[in-house]
Amino acid sequence: MPRKLTVVISQGQSANPAKRKLEEDVVAGLLFERGVEVTVVPNLYDLTPDGTGMLCLQGISGDMVVVSWLFSRAAFWTLDRNGIRGREGKVELVNEAEEDEDEDSDGDEAAAADDKPRVLASRDVPNRVIYCLDFKARNLAQPFIEEILRIKKLAEAQPVNILMNWIGGSPTPAQQVRFDAPTNTTSGVDAAGKLDGSSPAGAGPGIHLGLSNEAPADATPAAPTIIAEESNRRWYPVIDYARCTNCMECIDFCLFGVYGVDKVDTILVEQPDNCRKGCPACSRVCPENAIIFPQHKTPAIAGSPEGAAGAFKIDLSKLFGAPDALEQAVLERDVELVDAGRAAVGMAVGIPKRQTEKAAAPKDDLDKLMDSLDDLDL
Amino acid sequence: MSDGPTAGDELVFMMGKFAAKFPTDRRYAKNHMWAKREGSVVWFGFSAYAVRLLQDVYFLEWSVDAPTRLREKQTIGNIESSKAESELYAPAAGTLTEFNMLLMKDPTPINVDLYGAGRLFAMECDDTGMLTPEQYQDHLAAAWKIAEKTIKGQMNE
Repeated sequence: MPRKLTVVISQGQSANPAKRKLEEDVVAGLLFERGVEVTVVPNLYDLTPDGTGMLCLQGISGDMVVVSWLFSRAAFWTLDRNGIRGREGKVELVNEAEEDEDEDSDGDEAAAADDKPRVLASRDVPNRVIYCLDFKARNLAQPFIEEILRIKKLAEAQPVNILMNWIGGSPTPAQQVRFDAPTNTTSGVDAAGKLDGSSPAGAGPGIHLGLSNEAPADATPAAPTIIAEESNRRWYPVIDYARCTNCMECIDFCLFGVYGVDKVDTILVEQPDNCRKGCPACSRVCPENAIIFPQHKTPAIAGSPEGAAGAFKIDLSKLFGAPDALEQAVLERDVELVDAGRAAVGMAVGIPKRQTEKAAAPKDDLDKLMDSLDDLDL
Repeated sequence: MSDGPTAGDELVFMMGKFAAKFPTDRRYAKNHMWAKREGSVVWFGFSAYAVRLLQDVYFLEWSVDAPTRLREKQTIGNIESSKAESELYAPAAGTLTEFNMLLMKDPTPINVDLYGAGRLFAMECDDTGMLTPEQYQDHLAAAWKIAEKTIKGQMNE
């Protein structure tokens, strides 16, 4: 029984015909694939949280492949910030230049190898998989289509996972039985229909999500869903919670009120549009290299996979001569402060304390007092 | 050029076989932008020399928001075209007051009306130190030799 895999194509900002053709070729190559639904949106990063494009993506359930011009980490965590969550799927189609480094030392694994608790570990992640492919990995459509079909096979091999997605993660025994032993081919459609109804975000008004991809006529291509949202260029940080340790260096450093905390005191990008265009300073002070500016020219800041925290900082010192990453961040922040009519603060405010080094010290009386206050739950 | 200058209002510089034209009603910055005063601001755009080197512009991005104060040669954005990718730098020190936002959706005016609708941004700045069209021609004579070498060097790689 073919199951639905949604493929989202996030268009680039550039009018470069070669890039546009690659996008179109991937869409065209998937049109006749049963069980693959294609949705085309403008550049994912530029979509506004309440716009048609994001609402449409929020309405998609089940496994999803997102192909964008962003590094895959950048795409994955941009979706996450907008409530489109899942487990990060292992992608085999990666940039050839990055592949070697990947095999030598996977940045993510290296980063996760130590015992620091990452925010992701304490999170409830929906049981579906989101795969993010990077258009920059290849010049031709065929490798993307092959990778998407490989992912589709994987998804089909995990029926229980998909069932969990369809019915919100807690199947009743009756539902499980009905799913495991479908009585006829229309049961898939029923399940898909259920998915539509139970999806909390739902599809935005007037958006056709094309859930009827089980149409009997094989030869009829399913038209891709095309979202034409007027979008302006945006600029804001995206947090990679697989790396973030909730150390709060970024909220201390940024003086423009971009960061905040959620109900359980986890850092989040609360006011993305307060961010100063072009300024990546908080990314430089993040000890875990967890802050991504997807449109920054430096690959490590834009979310490239090579991830050891120090790697891009050394690189930058070379590029900029004297200033190290922190000095650079302070300079960038001062430029933005002055530009906003405020006073430059230099090294006086929010400089990383590298609290991780302090963590090993035994708690003193003040710590105990603070803990007891926390326990009071005022 | 929809309202381009007529012959006599412009100087011509030969880039190989290509005749790059430079209206004489404005000044030029060394980084190959034209500068034309309109009231309190100076509008900047790419010169025909720059556009010829770039050819079709696909993508333009500014890394600063207007209004903003700029140092000369401060990085302010980047551009992608059929022939090149480049960072863009402030042609002068001053306050950038406005970007031509129409180019964000469609940068083609840079190619089809470079001295008019293809203008890039306005600045409050001193333009008296900028090059006259004649001085710009002299500047190009030197710059073109280097550009030719750069182009040929990259093609031989």
